[in-house]
Amino acid sequence: MYSQTTTHDHHTPSGWKRWAYSTNHKDIGTMYLIFAIIAGVIGTAFSVLMRMELMHPGDGILGGNYHLYNVLVTGHGLIMIFFMVMPAMIGGFGNWFVPIMIGAPDMAFPRMNNISFWLLPASLILLIMSIFADGPPGQTGVGGGWTIYPPLSSKAGQPGPAMDLAILSLHLAGASSILGAVNFITTILNMRTPGMTLHKMPLFAWSILVTAFLLLLSLPVLAGAITMLLTDRNFGTAFFEAQTGGDPVLFQHLFWFFGHPEVYILILPGFGMISHIVSTFSKKPVFGYLGMAYAMVAIGVVGFVVWAHHMYTVGLSTDTKAYFLAATMIIAVPTGIKIFSWIATMWGGSISFKTPMVWALGFIFLFTVGGVTGVVLANAGVDTAMHDTYYVVAHFHYVLSLGAVFAICVNALCFDKKKSKFVLNKKKVKNLIKGYEKIRKISIKEKNSLNILCRGAAMRYFMTRLYDYSNTPKTALIKIKDPREYYQKLLVHNNLRTYKDYLN
Amino acid sequence: MKKLFYIILFSTIPLALQANQPKDWQLGFQEAASESMRDIISFHNNLLLPIIIGISVFVLFLLVYACIRFRASRNPNPSKRTHNVTVEVLWTLIPCLILIVMAVPSFKILYKQDTIPKADLTIKAIGYQWYWGYEYPDENIIFESYMIEEKDLKENQPRLLAVDNEVVVPVNKVIKVLITANDVLHAWALPSFGVKRDAVPGRINETWFKAEKIGTYYGQCSELCGIKHAFMPITVRVVSQEDYDIWLSDAKIKFAKDPTKIKVRKIASK
Amino acid sequence: MSSEKKHDYHLVDPSPWPIYTSFSCLVLAIGSVYYFHYDISFGMYLGLALVIYGAYMWFRDVVIEAEHQGHHTPVVQIHHRYGMTLFIASEVMFFVAWFWAYFDASLFPNEFMGNQWPPKDIETFDPWDIPLINTLVLLLSGTTVTWAHHALLEDDRKGFIQGLSLTVFLGFCFTLLQAYEYHHATFNYSGHIYGAVFYMATGFHGFHVIVGTIFLAVCLWRGKLGHFNKDHHFGFEAAAWYWHFVDVVWLFLFAAIYIWGS
Repeated sequence: MYSQTTTHDHHTPSGWKRWAYSTNHKDIGTMYLIFAIIAGVIGTAFSVLMRMELMHPGDGILGGNYHLYNVLVTGHGLIMIFFMVMPAMIGGFGNWFVPIMIGAPDMAFPRMNNISFWLLPASLILLIMSIFADGPPGQTGVGGGWTIYPPLSSKAGQPGPAMDLAILSLHLAGASSILGAVNFITTILNMRTPGMTLHKMPLFAWSILVTAFLLLLSLPVLAGAITMLLTDRNFGTAFFEAQTGGDPVLFQHLFWFFGHPEVYILILPGFGMISHIVSTFSKKPVFGYLGMAYAMVAIGVVGFVVWAHHMYTVGLSTDTKAYFLAATMIIAVPTGIKIFSWIATMWGGSISFKTPMVWALGFIFLFTVGGVTGVVLANAGVDTAMHDTYYVVAHFHYVLSLGAVFAICVNALCFDKKKSKFVLNKKKVKNLIKGYEKIRKISIKEKNSLNILCRGAAMRYFMTRLYDYSNTPKTALIKIKDPREYYQKLLVHNNLRTYKDYLN
Repeated sequence: MKKLFYIILFSTIPLALQANQPKDWQLGFQEAASESMRDIISFHNNLLLPIIIGISVFVLFLLVYACIRFRASRNPNPSKRTHNVTVEVLWTLIPCLILIVMAVPSFKILYKQDTIPKADLTIKAIGYQWYWGYEYPDENIIFESYMIEEKDLKENQPRLLAVDNEVVVPVNKVIKVLITANDVLHAWALPSFGVKRDAVPGRINETWFKAEKIGTYYGQCSELCGIKHAFMPITVRVVSQEDYDIWLSDAKIKFAKDPTKIKVRKIASK
Repeated sequence: MSSEKKHDYHLVDPSPWPIYTSFSCLVLAIGSVYYFHYDISFGMYLGLALVIYGAYMWFRDVVIEAEHQGHHTPVVQIHHRYGMTLFIASEVMFFVAWFWAYFDASLFPNEFMGNQWPPKDIETFDPWDIPLINTLVLLLSGTTVTWAHHALLEDDRKGFIQGLSLTVFLGFCFTLLQAYEYHHATFNYSGHIYGAVFYMATGFHGFHVIVGTIFLAVCLWRGKLGHFNKDHHFGFEAAAWYWHFVDVVWLFLFAAIYIWGS
């Protein structure tokens, strides 16, 4: 390449090479966003299939293929986390906005930026392949949940190559994120425009900085854990094999040491975006800027020492649980600071209710609900009753689906490619509003998740990841002959229909 | 509307009317049948739930108020205020206080739950793909507990919850449960007793319950364990001490772990 | 080149290597799965070769940009320092996972291990035998790499080459000694938790030693070609940092697994 470019300045090839060989943060950001949309569609399709199955106690549409249901659950989780939210927020909006916000011409390592992106399609291909590869005897796909706990994910549980493909997919996605994190941290720390100290940096850049540190320090631990799983499966090591002295719970510790920071990775960039939106549409600077920035830092730091609250029922000692209870609760404080600061930003402002602002308002309230249900779950004693129920599912969908995804929607609405700032592009918004209003009417995210929480409330003891659940056999349910009719019903009756059926 | 009505109706029905399994239209926890579960329910319903509803409503109120009061048409000139030490200190300290108020009873419940009193009876539950095995180590009893298929269900047996061999325990006795698994992770859970512990191969987890009412109680495996995770329920039948003794003498023969031992015992009892 | 630029940053030209390397990784992954399950190793070796080729071409571009095109201005070098530091930080966290596994097993030995550490019927290595020699080899190589660095700072190219050659040689010796030790081990990596934590922790360290040795060897080769000068030699410094990181990891392994764990 060098020989061609010695005479040109920042030579940009045209056609497909512009994208495939890109070293331009905007082009790479765009590719990330397109990738996230594609993955989002797949992940949503999985979710729709699960919900269609659950609409019908007894066999719904999966025809009694229990393993397929587990595969859908697993795929939905992994795809939404690794291939939808992270690429959209960090890769897409982070790439687009961070260099511009801090006044840098591009990222610190533009070429590495490109491999961060291109590892993701490779990784997604591996995950999709895993769905069609052999899993447990006689079945295809990985059905171990996104947490892939051994021994269900070990040779004993799922001997086929599907799990190995999924593990290697996570390796690639992890490498992509680590490289991206190195890139963002270096960019943010070194390439700010003169005069922009860290304490003057836009909050979105702050949020990406904190996120990148979380990625950098948590993902290698996951890489270690899944490498252990891989060698356990294929080379007979004994990390998680109880028969040969290993410990299945070790995996859970390692996984959640990554997994908990990971959930903050998913939401922190959203915090940054919402701050900008609320401030823009209230015509007021962000209230308590430093408090906002350091609240994110605090969330990030404390996020590393609370992991075992995901493991209250594995048989930890009571004192350990008490520690994790206390540490987890502490996170509510910086989170509360952020929520109240957003409201204070609105306070005294001149608020215009453009669509992005409406989404941001939705974010603030629904994220609050996600937050307070999290505080309930932090109580180890109560978690005995809540653990692995739809209450938990509802809690994290409030945070992620109604938090992270809302934030992505907000940002997509404000996305002005030319100005590349958080300002409203009227024409685009006009078109988008139409689309989003439609979506909102169908309201896949909002009401469905409300549904889940109601269900969670209704069936605290109703375990997650169950293929079938109801006491009522399938007699009372609608019979579908034509798939189109099904689709129609799904759209029209989705909410109440499912609602009733869930409770049946 | 009708559905909403049902929800409201059923959420206000006293918990006592509900049985020991999830009911249609149910909101909230299942009825408690042990003290630990009563603790959990009262802590959640009387403290946690009001607090989180209060906070959510408060945030919603502030949002709505700000939206109305500071909308562009009413308040065209925004203030430039970005700091107010008083409120910032307040919204840091007040949440801390709320958390302390929550944490104190929470620790109490946690330690109470995890402290196992002297057991009257010990049961061992072993998770398999996809059924539960039970042992009464002191009684030389061992049996397996499979879900009853839908077509074989009898009257009053709930679908997906009823099993062929139920665990039978006496009422008002401290039952210690040792939980482990033989293949992959499972979790032994009984909502009405406030019990849930993972079954981990190579580890034995302990938990306990003291059922206060006679009846049949249902739970489900609570850790994804593979293809038929949804179809390995847990059923515990709580009976009076007399009924338990009758069951025990039958079970000792029917479910004998080591047949040679029955004879010895029988002779001894004669 | 930089006549139009208003800044010192390096805006890298479009490059085919990222996408090429990514999909080589895909080939490597799929090939590995075939190797694991069907004993067909062709795809894995192909993928490995493709990845190595991609890395080679990529680094070649970097070296050309650094040495011949003058893209690596002081500020770009600072980027590289940050990048390398952060990469090493993530490597540290990777080793945290292996130490975690080791301490999980050794601090809470279960019945299978006879409730003791080292587990019953495991004959551990004598830490004061080869492991001690290895420790000394690595520590010595740490000093020789510093010798090379200081020689470079003094513009003493001969000293630089000598110091670096010695470092590479010592790194190679470490690998050989480690291989010898593995060869004489009484336990296997499979079928026992001790073998698993021992081989995977020391094995990943060994892998990092090999990578570090290659990294240093490349620097040696570049040094012989006349690359690096006393103000601009971050490639070498990165290799030295990496080498020190590997060194420190070894000290922890030596202390935890070899001394404390026997």
